[in-house]
Amino acid sequence: MARVFNWQIGREMSYWYPEARPQRQFAAVFDINKCIACQTCTLACKTTWTSGKGQEYMLWNNVETKPYGSYPLAYDVKLLEMLGGQEWEGGRYAGRTLFEAAPAGERVLGWRPGHEDYSYPNTGEDDCAGQVDHGEYLSLPHAQWFFYLARICNHCTYPACLASCPRGSIYKRPEDGVVLVDQGRCRGYQECVRGCPYKKVFYNPLTGTSEKCIACFPKLEQGIQPQCFVNCIGKIRLAGFISTPDKARPENPIDYLVHIRKVALPLFPQFGLEPNVYYIPPIHAPESFNRQVFGPGAAQAVKAYREAARDADLAGLLCLFGSTEMVVSRFRRQGETVIGTDEKGAEVVRVPLREPVVVRPARDPRTQLVRINCP
Amino acid sequence: MRRRHGWLAGLLLAAAACSRGPKLANEVVAVETAQLPAGPDDRAWSGAPLHRAGLLPQDLVEPRVLTPTTAEVAVQALTNGAEIAFRLEWPDDAADDTPGPARMVDACAVQLPEKSGPDLPEPQMGQEGRAVQIAYWRADWQAWVDGRGDSIRDLYPNAAIDHYPFEAKPLEPGSAARQEMERLYSPAMASGNRRAGPRKSPVESLLAAGPGTLSPAPNQDAGGRGVFQNSRWSVVIRRPLPQGLGRDQRTHVAFAVWQGSKQESGARKMRTGWIPLVRRAGS
Repeated sequence: MARVFNWQIGREMSYWYPEARPQRQFAAVFDINKCIACQTCTLACKTTWTSGKGQEYMLWNNVETKPYGSYPLAYDVKLLEMLGGQEWEGGRYAGRTLFEAAPAGERVLGWRPGHEDYSYPNTGEDDCAGQVDHGEYLSLPHAQWFFYLARICNHCTYPACLASCPRGSIYKRPEDGVVLVDQGRCRGYQECVRGCPYKKVFYNPLTGTSEKCIACFPKLEQGIQPQCFVNCIGKIRLAGFISTPDKARPENPIDYLVHIRKVALPLFPQFGLEPNVYYIPPIHAPESFNRQVFGPGAAQAVKAYREAARDADLAGLLCLFGSTEMVVSRFRRQGETVIGTDEKGAEVVRVPLREPVVVRPARDPRTQLVRINCP
Repeated sequence: MRRRHGWLAGLLLAAAACSRGPKLANEVVAVETAQLPAGPDDRAWSGAPLHRAGLLPQDLVEPRVLTPTTAEVAVQALTNGAEIAFRLEWPDDAADDTPGPARMVDACAVQLPEKSGPDLPEPQMGQEGRAVQIAYWRADWQAWVDGRGDSIRDLYPNAAIDHYPFEAKPLEPGSAARQEMERLYSPAMASGNRRAGPRKSPVESLLAAGPGTLSPAPNQDAGGRGVFQNSRWSVVIRRPLPQGLGRDQRTHVAFAVWQGSKQESGARKMRTGWIPLVRRAGS
């Protein structure tokens, strides 16, 4: 194994291959606080990519309710239990990553879900963490809570699927860091299914190969965000490219949210894959839960997000979520207007920081009649 | 009690010794015959010596097998001078022939060096510059060849499917436009991956020059048939006779067995080292 640097865990770690970061890395920020689990993203992906034979059970994009939901069943808690204690010392992970915890003879600590584990994608949907007792009232964080976790492939910097494949059928594109299964080379050993902790590689029993989210790379190549992003009616998603922390650019929306304001965090950073989908954690969930799922920065991220109303730049950037189908490479705020530009600097979107509010008086001054809201 | 059963055990051993099964050989002996048998139940196999090949866990490259599963495979061989047929038999609790998530299938393979000679390639998938030829049989391919369908309902009879976009009108069943659209929704097939089918034989011819380099051979010249009976797989794998293997001449052969129920697939397998293979005249 090689030694590589993983900035998300604040230290070097062991990985199957030497560090080879792409020229730029596809990344995304999902604002959990805005997700309503309408599953439009799930269907947008399903109808675009996995409507074929042998793909029936696959959800490259899914939305699960936390704490009890998971797809496939218990994908996260099972592995967390296998991994054992996961201690952080400040921003440095003191426990073992999945590569460091690999048992003898294995490349990664992993497990392979059975077909029954994929059969209940809605398990735990809308289930509250506990009973809402008489006399309880609303406070932050909520005494009883749940939230929706939308998930796609994390297009990790250190993918466990890629490390697991004994025949090198999985590769990470140097131009954008998108992780792909070579459909011409894969022989369906399902080692990647076993290795990916997020269980975002799926075995197709009819073609005998494994398949996964491709970050809609044909769209990405044209500067357009993926299907699950542009179809999100809650406007919770923003796609772009992330830099390493030392090269963070404040005008890059992803860099600003992840590195500058530290409001968006990776999913289970302790696994050691350096995943590239970042989440603005739920402000109403307990800090201990957020910390286990999103790492030690969770409390600070919640604090920064709650202050966004008084932070014009952060609030402005959040307004760009779901505002355009184009990838926004740079953003800037001019007073009450937020402007997004593409890679070449051309303006692709302009939105007001605050939507104009128009109040229509209940009484029509012309007719002196009371207006009613019937069609 | 133990003493009363001692005579019975002795009688059974004597009966086994006197039975008219194939004689044992300490190498794989390919006996010449006019016609190669198509299946593992053919009488012709009774004339071929039997070699009991002990299986080792694949523990050379990750992922490794650390707990042995199938202990040995019984091997026989026949040749008609142009082709060679191997009969492999091993015990297995159940036939695993249905693919799916975490559902591995039973399989076996025969490996020969691409070039015969004293300088043998590494027995584990060969090595760079010294390739090996592999004929690989799978239980799910056998089931398809035997007539099982390949739709999700064939694998999961109670599956509910709403709709496939390529089965909607105006695309007519069997039309070229519909087939083309169906191909687009099957990326492995659209990429020309032989693994994705359609499959007419349960055996695939492969080449390898080291672990992780397995690729389909240009000539798909292997065939065979497998049967599961009495908790045992019996599989015949037929392929061209190694070039220049004359009567009483030797080359080497290696075998591998995968048990689906033990999650064996790819590198997770039980295998042999090189075993001498000799061609002999028929009696």
